Amino acid sequence: MKVKGNYALRQVAKTWVVMPLGQATLDLDGILTLNETGALLWKTLEQGGDREAMIRALTGEYDVSPERAGADVDRFLGKLADAGVLEE
Amino acid sequence: MLCKIAELITEVPMAGGMALRCRDYLYDGDATADIVIREDAYDPEKHPGIFSADQLAYMESGRQFHSRLLEHNGLYLHASAVVKDGKAFLFSGRSGAGKSTHTSLWQQELGEDVVVINDDKPALRCLDGVWYAYGTPWCGKDGINRNMKAPLAGICFLKQAKHNQIRRLSAQEALQRLLGQTIWKVYEVKYLDLLMARMDELITNIPVFELENRPEAAAAQLSYTTMRRTAEEMGL
Repeated sequence: MKVKGNYALRQVAKTWVVMPLGQATLDLDGILTLNETGALLWKTLEQGGDREAMIRALTGEYDVSPERAGADVDRFLGKLADAGVLEE
Repeated sequence: MLCKIAELITEVPMAGGMALRCRDYLYDGDATADIVIREDAYDPEKHPGIFSADQLAYMESGRQFHSRLLEHNGLYLHASAVVKDGKAFLFSGRSGAGKSTHTSLWQQELGEDVVVINDDKPALRCLDGVWYAYGTPWCGKDGINRNMKAPLAGICFLKQAKHNQIRRLSAQEALQRLLGQTIWKVYEVKYLDLLMARMDELITNIPVFELENRPEAAAAQLSYTTMRRTAEEMGL
């Protein structure tokens, strides 16, 4: 699982946003916004982490069960897939 | 050709009809240029589906100006900008959202002093803590623009609907919509960070709304009344 193209994660107005750089595009109206959890998952993904690594990142940072974290990760990945930023 | 655009001395190549578009912006002082637009950097590949040399010159000179605006406490917004009672109100949204229609309604409904300063790509700059909207030569197909500035009082995103309803957007909603209507395909990280800094200042200081509307007089009255009241409350 890999991000397709070149993106940068930035925080502005207390919101995390994923901005496309250069030729990368999003199939959304402009940009992808993320909450704190989403930003943590994005950073994990950027560092080459897989689904398991993302679940570990969540359970390490927050008081959540692996099941709940797994559901959050799946929802996050679904959002990225909808935005067209995932390879595969 | 030296011009003064948004209070920035700008060198604009005359080719591609730009001499005509810039005729109200000519500068004959001896200050050096803040922004130099380079004709040799016009890149047709950034505009798939462009066709004539004039269109390329218009799009690429605009792209260069608006990118560089970020280095001068500014940014551009895809919007129709009107000035009423000395204050600027911007109506934004994707193409076809009814921006020009709405600002024409302001002109019809709200008195003869309503001026459209740019119908497509006004410049915004924050100087000494105050945001200003400026007319620019990049003004869309109708060529409607005025070389003037006014303090910015509010931004409103338009959405066609079967009713008229306005609401203030949260910071997150505002950010998402604003980024959708400015240069967000940046090619250098440097510009991305500048863009984010400008967005943060803009959202912190200027109220942003969404107007669901029908193209009718009542919609113009609603946006004007609401935006003016909020601007007054915020001391804008």
